[in-house]
Amino acid sequence: MYSSQYDGGAFVSSQSPDSSVAKTRGNRSTTIPLTVKQITDAYESSSQKSELIVDGVDVGNIVLVGMVCNKASRATDATFTLDDGTGRMDFIRWVNDAADSSETAIIENGMYVSIVGSFKGFNERKRATAFAIRPIKDHNQIVLHFIQPIRMHLENTKSKVGSLSQTQQSFVNESSFSSGYKEPQTPVSNYASVNSKAQGSETDIYKLVLDVLQEPSSLASEHGIHVDEVVQRLGLPAKKVKEAIDYHVDVGHIYSTIDDFHFKSALGD
Amino acid sequence: MDTSSPTVFVNGELLKLYMGRRVRTVVQVIRNEGGAVVGQSTDNQQLTVKGPNQSVPVMHFMEVIGVADGPQSIRAEICTDFGSNFDMASYNGLCKLANGQFKNLFL
Repeated sequence: MYSSQYDGGAFVSSQSPDSSVAKTRGNRSTTIPLTVKQITDAYESSSQKSELIVDGVDVGNIVLVGMVCNKASRATDATFTLDDGTGRMDFIRWVNDAADSSETAIIENGMYVSIVGSFKGFNERKRATAFAIRPIKDHNQIVLHFIQPIRMHLENTKSKVGSLSQTQQSFVNESSFSSGYKEPQTPVSNYASVNSKAQGSETDIYKLVLDVLQEPSSLASEHGIHVDEVVQRLGLPAKKVKEAIDYHVDVGHIYSTIDDFHFKSALGD
Repeated sequence: MDTSSPTVFVNGELLKLYMGRRVRTVVQVIRNEGGAVVGQSTDNQQLTVKGPNQSVPVMHFMEVIGVADGPQSIRAEICTDFGSNFDMASYNGLCKLANGQFKNLFL
């Protein structure tokens, strides 16, 4: 399961051969690089102040990069303000043991740091919680950090309608973080394109069928979804849809449930 | 949370558009002239940085946060040494994006 906060905040709505879990949209163990401006905008425009939704993505943890100011250190915690150029945000870092206190001791005002933290509880206490604060050694990291929300914004606001192209997504990996963004079903498409007889249209149908089966409503139902419903949803010839379903069963993406006509995705939560 | 006084990412070209506003940019230090530093911006323009902390060595990259007080000059409030290994081209690209299509993420 996705238990590590730092490891791959990949908000993924599809499967990939390497990951053991594919998350549905409800899962909030994401770690997302953002700017204070984005957070402020999302916070102010949301009705539910306890959750943070940026570009339609539920945000679990946040990564920010900026300059420390107003640092105040106490025995049990350290509070400071982070100024990332787009705005300022207050943070608290709880100090539980020697490792924590040595981490906070090196932080000084005027220093560039990278923070992984959580927005939870901001509504009540007007400050966010920092889990980790690391000084920036290579300043190219600052540039990289700001490029990540741009990239994510682009991905999340890109129209999904008619996105039948099999674009390869390259991950931006930065030490222990990955930025979170939607990834189209590239591995499936590639697999399909290797095996299928025809080119574009065959793989597109396979992808569309799998998309329907991967929807939260299909995943939520115990029996999955009936073949006819998929046909009706997509408006495609039943024969093609059945072919696509057979293919997906063969490769293990879906399985039949109560009878030979109900199928469910094997990669749901 | 306070986004009332953001600092705009600028290069030499964009500096002109934000006169009188708080900006941030990275320059490569060319020389020190008394109280001012002359640096080369990420888009190869010469900028003059006036201000207190001028302790960044020549040929190092320096981030300047301050107020734009001329088409090619900044009155610096904070100067940070970014070392000798910094990718100016990426920073230049970031400046264009942060002021263009993705301005709403920054300002």
